[in-house]
Amino acid sequence: MALVNPDFAEELKLYGVDTALECFNCGACAAVCPLIHRQFPRKMIRYAQIGAKEEIMQQAQELWRCLHCGLCTRTCPRQANPGELILGLRRYVVAAWRKG
Amino acid sequence: MFNPRDIIGLLATNIRKTRNPFGVPGSQLNTWWRPAGGFTRRPGAPLLFTGLMYQAIPYLEATTRYLERLEGSPWAEYLRFGRFSRYLPNFLLGRCFSLLTARTGKEKFNGILRSICSLLTKSGVDFFYHPEMDFYSGILLYDLGDQEGFEEHARFVAKALKLHDVKKIITVDPHTTYALKELYPKYIGASFEVEPYFTRLRLPVPEGGSGSRPVTIHDPCFYGRYLNLADAPRQVLRSLGLDYVEVRNCGEFTSCCGGPAESVSPALNREILGRRVAELKASGAPVVTMCPICLANLLKTGLPVEDLASLLDRSWET
Repeated sequence: MALVNPDFAEELKLYGVDTALECFNCGACAAVCPLIHRQFPRKMIRYAQIGAKEEIMQQAQELWRCLHCGLCTRTCPRQANPGELILGLRRYVVAAWRKG
Repeated sequence: MFNPRDIIGLLATNIRKTRNPFGVPGSQLNTWWRPAGGFTRRPGAPLLFTGLMYQAIPYLEATTRYLERLEGSPWAEYLRFGRFSRYLPNFLLGRCFSLLTARTGKEKFNGILRSICSLLTKSGVDFFYHPEMDFYSGILLYDLGDQEGFEEHARFVAKALKLHDVKKIITVDPHTTYALKELYPKYIGASFEVEPYFTRLRLPVPEGGSGSRPVTIHDPCFYGRYLNLADAPRQVLRSLGLDYVEVRNCGEFTSCCGGPAESVSPALNREILGRRVAELKASGAPVVTMCPICLANLLKTGLPVEDLASLLDRSWET
């Protein structure tokens, strides 16, 4: 069971992410992503939206599979900037590792 | 896949220590300019800023050869001790790398930088180069999410450039171009006039075309998408009478070659690379690209691939 945190989107702004709540989960990003077989980046964006911090930290390694190629950002119909969101989550995780 | 924490720790340590990701002395990494002779700096002339990316490819190849063997093995865990490389003297790491990197590989990538110089000179572009003003941009730290490390390094680079009163910069690769043009102003407030070399070329229009085989363009993600510069290399090819064919995923919708995954998962890189190579092979024409990471990655597959600068310089001569 995941613990949700509605304030997480606000917290992510510290890491350069201000579009987390724009995403309406259409899946266009996952369809064009070179990592198509891994439900990426959609799953991580969903975790970010609901503030499932534990899931993000547990599966943090997945974030580094992203190639930062920008195809998801270019094709997103909501300008939710999925590529930058993943990069922001990396920053969040790196900061948490350093604090911990 | 390696633990990204270990990779980031190792890279951040190396960059803090030597200002490049490999932990080798800059004087060993950056040697391309030596045979080129001196460069005179005239007032207002832009600095040629290589970002040490082409020079780093033989070192990257040597590193990934070992990472490929380590990935998935019990030895991969020991990578976490990589951050202790800060206790190793730079010259020792440099010596290890010189044993692992072939002279021919270094010459090949250094030759691309000399071709860029030659093209700019033939285009009448007034520019200068000084190895003490040429640094790695820190882009890998940014891509891996080490924002603190990236900003610290970017401040160091920007401070050195400002100290030398550098205002205009000519870049040679998409990653450095993106870092200097977009990220430095955004994150550390340092702005320069940044242009990639191929936008400055003024090439002669040949009579009746060049008669050479068409090439397939592999657009790097950062030129094609992030910087919206997919048209400029095509214009340059056209102006030299060189034909090109497009693949299905090109320009702003280009497919990634997988190179960015190389540091954390060489296996993932191979998977993505295989798919891109299949797309490029479909054209049947030799490939041309303009990114050192893409070039090195595509070369691994045995695909006939060449850097844009080498092709342009050779075509101009003929």
